Amino acid sequence: MPKHIVRLIILLVASAAIALIAKWFFTVESFYEYGHYRADSVPEIAAQEAVYKTARYCQSCHSERHAQWSANNHKSVTCETCHGAAQGHPEKGKLPIPADTVKLCTLCHEAMPGRPGTQPQIQVAQHSGGQQCKVCHNPHAPKIAAAAVRVTGDAAAGRQRAAACASCHGAEGISPNDTWPNLAGQSAAYLARILAAYKSGDQKDVVMTPLAQPLSDGDIRNLAAYYASLTCRTVPSTTRIGDAATGKALAKNCASCHGDTGIASNPAWPHLAGQKVGYLVNVLKAFRGGLRKDPMMAAVVRGLSDADIENLAAYYAAQSCQPVTEARKTP
Amino acid sequence: MKREAISSLLARRAFLRKIGRAATCAGAIAATGAAGALGVTKKVAAKSESTSRRGSFPTKDYDWTKRQWAFGVDANKCIGCLRCVEACKRENDVPGDAHHFNTWVERYVYLEGDKRARVDSHHDPVNIAASGSEREYRFANRYQDAKVEKAFFVPKLCNQCTHPPCVQVCPTGATYKAVDGVVLIDQKYCIGCQYCVQACPYGARWFNARKGVSQKCYWCYHRITKGLQPACVEACPVGARIFGDRNDPQSPISLFIRNNRVQVLRPETGNAPNVFYVGIDKEVS
Repeated sequence: MPKHIVRLIILLVASAAIALIAKWFFTVESFYEYGHYRADSVPEIAAQEAVYKTARYCQSCHSERHAQWSANNHKSVTCETCHGAAQGHPEKGKLPIPADTVKLCTLCHEAMPGRPGTQPQIQVAQHSGGQQCKVCHNPHAPKIAAAAVRVTGDAAAGRQRAAACASCHGAEGISPNDTWPNLAGQSAAYLARILAAYKSGDQKDVVMTPLAQPLSDGDIRNLAAYYASLTCRTVPSTTRIGDAATGKALAKNCASCHGDTGIASNPAWPHLAGQKVGYLVNVLKAFRGGLRKDPMMAAVVRGLSDADIENLAAYYAAQSCQPVTEARKTP
Repeated sequence: MKREAISSLLARRAFLRKIGRAATCAGAIAATGAAGALGVTKKVAAKSESTSRRGSFPTKDYDWTKRQWAFGVDANKCIGCLRCVEACKRENDVPGDAHHFNTWVERYVYLEGDKRARVDSHHDPVNIAASGSEREYRFANRYQDAKVEKAFFVPKLCNQCTHPPCVQVCPTGATYKAVDGVVLIDQKYCIGCQYCVQACPYGARWFNARKGVSQKCYWCYHRITKGLQPACVEACPVGARIFGDRNDPQSPISLFIRNNRVQVLRPETGNAPNVFYVGIDKEVS
């Protein structure tokens, strides 16, 4: 065999040997164990710590919150979706409580083309007038509870009992005086709730408390049913205070519960349309001053000035209390 | 591509693979003979032994031979809140800016008279402006006054293909198909050549310039091996993302695939994706 060919063969064999030795030397133990990759990298990836800890992790300390959340509509939204990942909590400090709930809640609830119809959606500008969502909604139980919304009573029996109320609230539930409320056509559930509150002492009034105390639960239901059955009538107010047009802009903040024109969407809340100006002003001021207690109303009226209150009262007093059929239909 | 074309393509791949294996075997036999004296045989024997040496792999509580993961997306349920994107970023230490992400959500909007959909995602300038920051993700309500004929959201992520083209092109074995079906990246072996970023037909991979490696969704492998759900599935408030083990006939994903008429993205590529979609148009790919 010619010398140069022998040299070539030696060179080739030597290169192959060097290549094989290099490969043996440089290839880590676990490469090729399962395939053309480093098997040790799999446990390395699997060993990373989870950043999101799931609601079960939160439950171990915040069991009360967890119970409320898991029983309500937001149970599909996990704790960490709003409060951020729980890794490092509690050792490294608290998790944030979202401050700007308008920004947060509208991520899911802003009405937007493409969102499925089953998703509850709002027109942000009209829904709350820029108010923070958590003023009315508890993020852990967002649905506003409609307390006892169905009240059944005997209107005829209520009529007899109502004789005692007529001197102030009018024979037909239309009060002759600007400071006492009209009752005709008011929602029965609301009337029953307020009467029961006077009876129990949760709500106090010099005149109403002694009158309500002797009433039985049946009386309360009958009275509520009677006044709810009467036809309401808007009596032009003699008191000239406030500016209804300015009040209309403010009333957007109240619309989600009390309706655009003061016809409440839910029987648990009172209708305001056509109510007495003086009465509305007094009640709003009572809420603001803490004389009447309701967590939702307290939060809503906190920022209102006397002028705001008068404008709002003027607006609602000027509305027709006859329910427009469309207004009733909207959910 | 037609189905026949795909099958001939696959047949050709299989044939080439066989030839490759035969050549490797011949080489290996020769090499064993040549290098026997160096004790390489011992090492080879040790390596083939080690496959059985391990019990449960990759961790002691998780055996990847028992699982076959798959993912479902129900676009009918998606509300485009982008909590999945947020959760994914936090979970996997993805740079916070809007342009790097493992998962994303596309919005398809057909306006009246339009033949094609308008598509945007959270990194669209209009959406960044609406959120006010590159680090917060939100869809702008930009079509509220337009005449929208049809609109829907489509979550996207790595399809963990059965025949992943990204794995095929990787020159270093840094990305691979795990036995349980997830395509993983070995960050120590990745040299940052970005061939895989080019190869993926779904745009699922991206390059992390800070670390010098390719990254992508890996179905939160560190979570699923601990019995948790991927972070995006955990965060989704409406159940638009479904995850589970196809080996378990009662798992959420098995039920999802069985009870719905599902489709995959770009079936014509022959990649056989493992993310199954419900409620999307032909235009989504």
